[in-house]
Amino acid sequence: MSTAPLIHVVDDDASMRNALLRLLDAAGFDARGYASAGEFLLHPLPDRVGCLLLDLRLPGPSGLELQSALQEQGIELPVVFLSGHGSVESGVKAMKDGAVDFLTKPVKRELLLDAIGRALDLCLAQRSSRTQAMQLQARFASLTDRQRDIFDRIVAGRLNKQIADDLGIAERTVKREREQLMLKLDAKSAAELGRLAEMRARTKTP
Amino acid sequence: MRLAIPDKWQLILLAALGLVLGCVPSPLRAAEAEARVLMLYGLDPYIPTFLAMDQALREDLARNGTKRTQVFAEALDSQRFPLDTLEPDLAALLATKYRALQIDVVVAVSRTALDFYQRHGAQLWPGSRLVYVGFLGYEFKPAALPEGASSVLSILDVAGTIDIARKMQPDARRIVVVSGSSEIDTRTQQQARDAFEERPAKVPVDYIAGATLAEILARLAKEPSSSIVIYLTQFRDREGTPYEPFEVLRAVIAGSPAPVYGAAEPFVGLGIVAGSVSSYESKGRLIGEQVRRAIAGQQPDASHRMLQAPNRCVADSRALRRWSLDKKRLPEDCEIRFEEVPVWRQYWQEIFVTLGVVAAQAALIVALIYQRRRRVMAERAEQAQRAELAHVGRLAVAGELTGAIAHEINQPLGAILSNADAGDLLLDSGTDQRDKLRAILADIRRDDLRASEVIRRLRELLGKHHFEQETFDLNQVVAELEAIIRAEAKRRGVRLEFKREPDALPVIGDRIQVQQVLLNLVLNAMDAVQDQSDDRREVSVATTKSKRRAVLAVRDRGPGIPPQNLPLVFDSFFSTKTEGMGLGLSISRTIVEAHGGRLSVDKTGSEGTTFRAELPLANHKAGLQSSPT
Repeated sequence: MSTAPLIHVVDDDASMRNALLRLLDAAGFDARGYASAGEFLLHPLPDRVGCLLLDLRLPGPSGLELQSALQEQGIELPVVFLSGHGSVESGVKAMKDGAVDFLTKPVKRELLLDAIGRALDLCLAQRSSRTQAMQLQARFASLTDRQRDIFDRIVAGRLNKQIADDLGIAERTVKREREQLMLKLDAKSAAELGRLAEMRARTKTP
Repeated sequence: MRLAIPDKWQLILLAALGLVLGCVPSPLRAAEAEARVLMLYGLDPYIPTFLAMDQALREDLARNGTKRTQVFAEALDSQRFPLDTLEPDLAALLATKYRALQIDVVVAVSRTALDFYQRHGAQLWPGSRLVYVGFLGYEFKPAALPEGASSVLSILDVAGTIDIARKMQPDARRIVVVSGSSEIDTRTQQQARDAFEERPAKVPVDYIAGATLAEILARLAKEPSSSIVIYLTQFRDREGTPYEPFEVLRAVIAGSPAPVYGAAEPFVGLGIVAGSVSSYESKGRLIGEQVRRAIAGQQPDASHRMLQAPNRCVADSRALRRWSLDKKRLPEDCEIRFEEVPVWRQYWQEIFVTLGVVAAQAALIVALIYQRRRRVMAERAEQAQRAELAHVGRLAVAGELTGAIAHEINQPLGAILSNADAGDLLLDSGTDQRDKLRAILADIRRDDLRASEVIRRLRELLGKHHFEQETFDLNQVVAELEAIIRAEAKRRGVRLEFKREPDALPVIGDRIQVQQVLLNLVLNAMDAVQDQSDDRREVSVATTKSKRRAVLAVRDRGPGIPPQNLPLVFDSFFSTKTEGMGLGLSISRTIVEAHGGRLSVDKTGSEGTTFRAELPLANHKAGLQSSPT
């Protein structure tokens, strides 16, 4: 059962929250309810596919504030906003900050489930790219310092001879290290190495 | 017998004609300071004629007398208490009474009194002077008066009366003269015959003399109404039956188809048309003059031995009307009595004044009523205006609250929709989920009620409504709006705190308007903290009880009201907000004051501002009694 996505519902209105939980449950999701941003943050976030169904106005920190707090902490959990009285500004801000959708109550089931579906897709995508990045990171971690220097120069477009000159080692040694390096990174060509470098650079910066 | 008849006669004449000159003896000498007069009545002194005469005499003495004069009165009343037996005792009594009292003048009224005076005066009232008041002719001769005495005498003016009758009825076909057969009656009849001899009548004159009352009435009944009836006197008929002249006259007047005339003043009131009579008032004045002279020690002139009271024409307007006689035919100087002068002519001054007062009062009352009405109308208009303004104010408030209102309605609607969708999905799943479905339906129902409750309150708040008086709990008012206020606070990101007095706070007034005050104050407070840092975006609403007042305090942690604005905050159209109308606080204050309360800025400063609305607490019992009106 743990395979079912987990939807976090944050709404201070108990009646609304219960209705949403009931609907999500009937739609085949696992759903958990929280009355405030604080309550949500107090609960450990299980490592599962899921999303956050967030009311805009909450007692204490608002939905928008929770959204940015999660981003700051690097917690990637797609957010669908569900507001009783959404204003244009808050909607724009939410979307800019990466919300999947901005819905208003009362919300049609199709719209809600569609938004949740997209959020879960996003979650899955995020999770897989995160997995890739982690694998990549692990592969890079297995490189020796020399191999890392050689990799950087290959990616920069240097030839073996030039690398050997740069590093003050024999060209033959460069060739050997290069073969080992490509094995470790599971790359078959220099072009593939370039792509890996790009991916690494992207996942590293944030 | 000799005495009885004259006395009786005298009595009647005196009473009737009022001829008897005031019997007023004016007290003289005694102590030098005051004069004393003794009125000695032979008859009943309370006969109206005597009373009027007495009054005229006393007035004369008071007005014209040179000395203070005291008037005494004694009555022999010989008609009812025969003197034969009482005289010695009476004389003895009077001797005792007047032993130490110097009487200056004795006024003897009637022949009996004169006789009594002549017998006892010298002993009882030594040194007193005598003024006799009586009737000329029949029983008295002036020569009988003692030295130094004077007399005021009346005469029966039969001729004058006949003249008046002829003047009144120039077309009369017959003249009937009624008299008795006593000596006096005969004399009066003779006077009539003399008069007709002097001025002969052109028509037959019938004398009914000495007839019995029944005969008289039978004779008169046949008379046509154009005849003249002259009633003289009737003390006795030819059969010897004694009469009171009055009773005969009354019968004659009642039975006669023709107008009746008479020569004695008292006859006038009994129903005669008119007559030449002597007035008792003038008699009183004549007596007064004689008494004053006697007091002054002046001897009477020869003329004073026998002063005659003047006669004049007196008519009865009721009798004139009864016989349809024209009063214009009366002699010019004739006095018309019993004229039913329309009251408004007789008392025109009194009536005028009374009407004036009544009119003034009425005007005052009308003015007061009018004023009151105007005040009531003005109050009503003011109340309506206030209600209207309050309504506008509430609409403005509602405009500010749309977000919160939408939230409060959308929340349950959203829950309902989601619950319905969940139910749909459960049904689709095909498994038996009845318990879950039931729970869903229960929630749907509850949320539906919740939404409709919000709408009901809004309608109440926004609807036009007239000022209503009811008793309500201030806490309740706050509780009813708490949801909306919270929604708004959430929307604005303002922390909100409610503190409620645990006891009920019964207040009499208009619940909706008080809610409006609450909303105004809360929205103002939220506006005040709008641009504050997070930790100061805080508003608190508190109800408390203070003495006999329910207090609603709304505190914000805004920047405070600048001192220069403080006196203006309750003014209409004063606002520091770009979108404000500047009516909220002004309306709120008007509302609170209309409830007998007070709206004030409790404190303000850099730490924030507290507005405080105080409303008089309803005496709980009184409140329950006068609940919704």
